[in-house]
Amino acid sequence: MNTIRAWFTKTGEASYISHLDLQRVMGRAMRRAKLPVWYSKGFNPHIYMTFALPLSLGQESLVESVDFRSEEENLDFEAMAKALSDALPRGIEVKKMYFADTDAAKIASAKYQVRIAGDWTSAMEKYNALPEAIIEKKTKRGSKPLNLKEQIPQIESWVRDGETCFALTLPAGSSGLNLNPSLLLQYLEQQYGLPAAQAHILRVAIYTEDGGKFLG
Amino acid sequence: MFNENLKAALAAVQKPGRYTGGEPGCVYKDKSDLDLRFAFCFPDTYEVGMSFLGMKILYEELNKNPHWWCERAFMPWVDMKAEMEKRNIPLYCLESKDPLSEFDIVGFTLQYELSYTNILAMLDMAGIPLRAADRDDTMPLVVAGGPCVCNAEPLAPFFDMMMLGEGEEQLPAVCELTVRAKKEGWSKKQLLRAMADIPGCYIPSLYEVNYNEDGTVKEILPLDGVPAVVTKAIIKDMNSQPLPTNFIVPMVGAVHDRAQIEVLRGCVRGCRFCQAGFLYRPMRERKAEMLNEAARDLCANTGYDEVSLTSLSTSDHSQLETLLDEMLEWTPEQHVNMALPSLRIDNFSESLIQKTTKVRKSGLTFAPEAGTQRLRDVINKNVTWEEIEKSCRTAFEGGYTGVKLYFMMGLPTETMEDIEGIAETAQKIVDLYYQNPDKPKGRGVQVTISVSCFVPKPHTPFQFCPQDTKEMLEEKQRHLVRSVKSKKITVRYHDSKTSFLEAVFAKGDRRLADALEEAYRRGCYFDGWDDQFKYDTWLEVFHDLGVDMAFYANRQIPTDEITPWDHLHYGVTKRYLISEYEKALSAKTTPPCNRHCAGCGANKLLGGACFEYDQSVVHQNG
Ligand code: SF4
Repeated sequence: MNTIRAWFTKTGEASYISHLDLQRVMGRAMRRAKLPVWYSKGFNPHIYMTFALPLSLGQESLVESVDFRSEEENLDFEAMAKALSDALPRGIEVKKMYFADTDAAKIASAKYQVRIAGDWTSAMEKYNALPEAIIEKKTKRGSKPLNLKEQIPQIESWVRDGETCFALTLPAGSSGLNLNPSLLLQYLEQQYGLPAAQAHILRVAIYTEDGGKFLG
Repeated sequence: MFNENLKAALAAVQKPGRYTGGEPGCVYKDKSDLDLRFAFCFPDTYEVGMSFLGMKILYEELNKNPHWWCERAFMPWVDMKAEMEKRNIPLYCLESKDPLSEFDIVGFTLQYELSYTNILAMLDMAGIPLRAADRDDTMPLVVAGGPCVCNAEPLAPFFDMMMLGEGEEQLPAVCELTVRAKKEGWSKKQLLRAMADIPGCYIPSLYEVNYNEDGTVKEILPLDGVPAVVTKAIIKDMNSQPLPTNFIVPMVGAVHDRAQIEVLRGCVRGCRFCQAGFLYRPMRERKAEMLNEAARDLCANTGYDEVSLTSLSTSDHSQLETLLDEMLEWTPEQHVNMALPSLRIDNFSESLIQKTTKVRKSGLTFAPEAGTQRLRDVINKNVTWEEIEKSCRTAFEGGYTGVKLYFMMGLPTETMEDIEGIAETAQKIVDLYYQNPDKPKGRGVQVTISVSCFVPKPHTPFQFCPQDTKEMLEEKQRHLVRSVKSKKITVRYHDSKTSFLEAVFAKGDRRLADALEEAYRRGCYFDGWDDQFKYDTWLEVFHDLGVDMAFYANRQIPTDEITPWDHLHYGVTKRYLISEYEKALSAKTTPPCNRHCAGCGANKLLGGACFEYDQSVVHQNG
């Protein structure tokens, strides 16, 4: 049995598909694309599927992945990727399919590009000058204070086509701290009135502990 | 129009996926190459609307034409409505994100009386004037279809046209005529007059209704030479209508999120309370072979892993067992489950139960509708206790432990004895379970009684009957709860207030339009949702406008009175409705159509007999 990884993007309208809904959408697309997927045994067989790093609703990504299994040995990955792409909704495109190499448990961080209308560079400078930036982060049991400056000491921002742009590399993964870029935006909204809900967040890379790329 | 403004609104609401479109199966077209744009509007949430088979059928039908583009719009939930109003986003169709006002035809499906205010809300959100008389020729044609069109008189001033009956042939005819009118520069008035000649097309403004002093209808006058009576459109041969082979597959969970195969249309049973049973007469089946192929294609094209055989009464299909056998040949290997809704208590046979349990074992659902044999005879629900007993015993032996029973309350001639009968029926089923020697160890039985309030509906034999008052219904609900003695029985009943409003609008006339509009202006919409229903506002509106709700809901209608829907014909004669009503009062039953024709008149729609009364077409158990 092999584990196969499909690397896909999730942009535009598709960014509003929740993680839970995505699982159903992906399962149906695999069936529609007639991929030789393996079903779990038992009374209610289902496709065995795992997604690497859930994406928040409304955020876009170039680096999503889903793993599934197959008993088939001779696989035409290129044809499978195309068939799956065709079966998926607008905004989800399969870039590549291959035998899963890196273990998703090794994921350590993710990189995001953020864009927001208007010139917010002076707010960013104010942030950069702060000794600390405390925000309440929701946890499974209530919430606890977190100093954003520990993870994001400086934000290097610039203005292009009337938008403020910057990039963030944040801890991510199934173990340890997970930091969502929206938390920083929330802080910037509270402090400087930046309209967080209007920000575009695009995930562009996922890295493993050793600094290597998870996908690609 | 998928712009920043809309994105900001989406960022602020729950389940934004309801407002984006882009689902697999969703159709996109090049706007420069179109003759006609049709906005198919469902006046309820995305989740409810996307479960509705009719929309999927017509979406595929219209989009077959390369020069027509049919798109969808739903009623945005309260949070999204507020966001859109705040940001000046007009109501748009999901595919193109263009506002409804840019379409040639805006069509609503009327499934439920309590969605009427949502229609007004949707028009208003789109910037389309509510009343047909206030819309000039640049505005889209606003039309309606669906079962409630059988008496949508309270909506008459809002619609340019309503379509009675089945849409597969009628709706394309309407679109063709509209395209022609556009090309030849007809006025809206000209177009509507021409539409009146398409089967089932009803132009409310071309009928003048006059009233008597006592508030009853005096006469309904056709104007401009339109037919005095509009007869519904019908698909004579269901085998001539291919089933949809692709569906838009919703991404945000729909209520019924599965492949649906319409095995038959109509119903042979003739339950006297059931409006659908009268509106869709005569019953017409599709061949098993066609259904099996369609099911397979649909599952392959959509990726669904569940297929349901839908209709008003699936187990009355004469080839059901053949169909199930054929489907069982491919469904397991394709990992597809089968679901059979609307199984009838009286022919829930052993082999049927085995076929369904092979793939799925969930609770069992039966609808005896009334608690005593006498009352079941009144409503012509041809079910006996012996049959209930047999079905439940089979089910319990097959390992089922839960039974859900549907009843109605407030049925004509009902007494407290009939209410007690509901509790007794449930109790006897509990007892039956414990008599089964093979019952699963350590597992009790759970019998749920779900009771709704009876709403007399137009075009049924009970259209003449008054609805029980709210007080009477509430007393009966209390009596039922008192009559239930076992902890194994759970009673669920529905709020009688919504049923009352439903009854008012079901049998309403054009004079209710003002109340509807006023209620909407005062903030009523999503009336079908308990948490949004503003009963007190409704009462105030009726009071302020001086309209008596009881006149519509709680009044006995003499059989010779002209009803507001007398000019709308669904094939069944009024004479037949009266005779069924009289039989009901003396608790006399009428056999199902596939056994014996009772002469309702609907056969005229087909131009021949409805059934060949040959034993091979009569279901063995039916
Ligand atoms: S004409 Fe006879 S068989 Fe046909 S629907 Fe009416 S009662 Fe049934």
